[in-house]
Amino acid sequence: MVERKQVIPGDVIARGDYRYGSYVEKRGDMYIALRVGLAEVSREGIKLNPMTGPYIPRPDDEVIGKVIDINGFGWVIDINSCFDGFLPASFVFGREFSPATHDLTTKFKVGDIIGCRIESFERSRDPQLSIRGHGYGKIPKGEIIKISPTKVPRLIGRRGAMINMISERTSCDVKVGQNGVVVAVGPPEGVVKTAEAIKMIENETHAADLSRKVEEYLGGAPIGSQA
Amino acid sequence: MSMMKKNYVVETIRKAQMVELLAKGKRMDGRALDEHRPIRIQTGIIQKANGSARVNLGNTEVIAGVKIATGTPFPDTPDKGLLVVNAEILPLASAYAEPGPPSEEAIELARVVDRGIRESEMVDLTKLCLVEGKSVYTVFVDVNIMNVDGNLFDATSYAVVAALRTARMKKFVVEDDKPKATEEEIPVPVERVPVSVTMARIGDTLLVDPMSEEEAAMDMRITITTDDDGNICASQKGEASTIAPDKVLEAADLSIKLGKEIREKIMEVTG
Amino acid sequence: MEAKRKLIGDDGLRLDGRAWNQLRPIKLEVGTLKNADGSAYIEWGKNKIMAAVYGPKEVHPKHQVLPDRALVRTRYHMAPFSVDERKNPAPSRREIEISKVIREALEPAVIVEDYPRTAIEVWVEVLQSDGGSRVAGITASSLALADAGINLRDLVVGCSCGIVDGQVVADLDDTEDKEGSGDMPVAIMPNLDRVTLLQVDGIYSRDQFQKAFELAIEKGREVYAMQREALTKKFFGDGQVSTSEEEVAE
Repeated sequence: MVERKQVIPGDVIARGDYRYGSYVEKRGDMYIALRVGLAEVSREGIKLNPMTGPYIPRPDDEVIGKVIDINGFGWVIDINSCFDGFLPASFVFGREFSPATHDLTTKFKVGDIIGCRIESFERSRDPQLSIRGHGYGKIPKGEIIKISPTKVPRLIGRRGAMINMISERTSCDVKVGQNGVVVAVGPPEGVVKTAEAIKMIENETHAADLSRKVEEYLGGAPIGSQA
Repeated sequence: MSMMKKNYVVETIRKAQMVELLAKGKRMDGRALDEHRPIRIQTGIIQKANGSARVNLGNTEVIAGVKIATGTPFPDTPDKGLLVVNAEILPLASAYAEPGPPSEEAIELARVVDRGIRESEMVDLTKLCLVEGKSVYTVFVDVNIMNVDGNLFDATSYAVVAALRTARMKKFVVEDDKPKATEEEIPVPVERVPVSVTMARIGDTLLVDPMSEEEAAMDMRITITTDDDGNICASQKGEASTIAPDKVLEAADLSIKLGKEIREKIMEVTG
Repeated sequence: MEAKRKLIGDDGLRLDGRAWNQLRPIKLEVGTLKNADGSAYIEWGKNKIMAAVYGPKEVHPKHQVLPDRALVRTRYHMAPFSVDERKNPAPSRREIEISKVIREALEPAVIVEDYPRTAIEVWVEVLQSDGGSRVAGITASSLALADAGINLRDLVVGCSCGIVDGQVVADLDDTEDKEGSGDMPVAIMPNLDRVTLLQVDGIYSRDQFQKAFELAIEKGREVYAMQREALTKKFFGDGQVSTSEEEVAE
């Protein structure tokens, strides 16, 4: 039995003894909401799904960023967070990297969109990024769509259910960054539908039948598919 | 320009999409090259001001307020009232705006708008004179930029014009060579309606009313203000780039044509 | 010496027809500016005030960065056209003081430890001023902080009370503030029941002080209900709660 309620900062979500997660503070036997969001109370504990808020980097997060500066040792990347990320040149060129012999612009230029991973985020310096692994690196084309980072879990869905459904129905490859940046590549009509579906998810996160609504909007058969 | 804050970097992918669309005469938001975003003008929003207007040009939002008092004229224009136009890009308006004294951007904005108002003789300043050399009406128009999404020039210009056209001031009469307030309220002596049209050049294409993303990708910008007779009364080229002479003439023709349409709209809203 | 006019009539009503403990009409809207991370607009009587929040973000200049918490910056600014006589746009001493007290009223509610090495900026712009603009600014700023999704212990809400014609009244307007004999802006965190702003201007007897102070808090709580409504309206629309299984990624 899950109890759900809309909360604003300062609201008491529940009283008693519960396990609790982010955006919740325990005061005595009261559990207080720290954000505007949808709170869930069950035997498992208290969970608050925030409706708004910044992206705070976590190690291993996949993010999509924009190169905004280049210095001798790497690329400065806007990851839509309170700090810019840094992609060290040595991560890309390897151990033999040296500013004297390697021109960073041959790999990524200012304005490029990069899919990357948060390698580390220590409190004393900017987040370090890496592009090691499959699917990371420069994203050469696609439609850039922005969504509140708090809505990304909803966009992805349980075990990817929502994002896979969108991708199938629109014949688009959709890359989702935890930081709220999404890039969709595919047929023009598919891209338009992807953008609309994402907007729907952002505006109606709290709706009971959101999945059904999105499914209905996207229609039955995939566009331009070969069955 | 602040050296510590970053400037808006437009994504390479977006710029490529923009250029591709421009070649077909279209823009990212579906507009034609010579199309303004929807212009929304509301007047009388600040009751304590003598006149006021809010202008929304797409997502760009500005609020102009007029305050009228009496004061002494400038020594070199003893028979003219004072008209001062000021603009402030509030830190509210953009992540790239800082609090503090006006930046060179805000000062240029205010002066270009002021020039359009002054050179077109929109307000007959001699009608604002009470006692020559001693006492005149002083008209201050202050513009707050509330949200930046490109083309502050046109939005500010339309707000100043709309606020002045709907402003009311206390009528003063002269008794014993001194100004005396009456209970009557009169409009500001507005004769003409200058209209500014701002264009950006991206590659070889001129586009009207650039939004922030287009401004981030543009090579240069030109603002041309025209009056009711289709004369050009002010112009300003912006950004450290160039423009070909024939493009300047193309821009002039666009401003005259669009200026006429926008003038009708402003006059309709401000009555 | 001109006689001071009566601000409360024989019928007990004030110049604008309000009772001694009545608030002016208040309108609140959340999310009014597109670029800001969070924003809110308030109309409180004739006050028209916009509040915007940017952050958490990088600190500039860098030497001001705090290693273990966010730096909260606030600016209260009055538009030149916001008052009867045009105000010079440069910050006055009054605005600088009010900026400081507003920051100190909001900061206790912000969990600054969650955002080390960042800045959280709060911009309050008064488009029209008519008494009580600082508490109105605080009320709107608190909503802007919630809109930006910054972790907050509580909202902050304010109200100003004072003395007019020897009587304690709630929510002074500009005339009552100028011609009355006391003004007391108070702000609280309503759930934690803690005062975060208190300023006193004028002469109060011990009883008047208590009455005005408690009245300000009582009225503040009324305004808090409006803050809740404004936030709920923006984020939950028609207010329907999801009742089915939420399909959210872990």
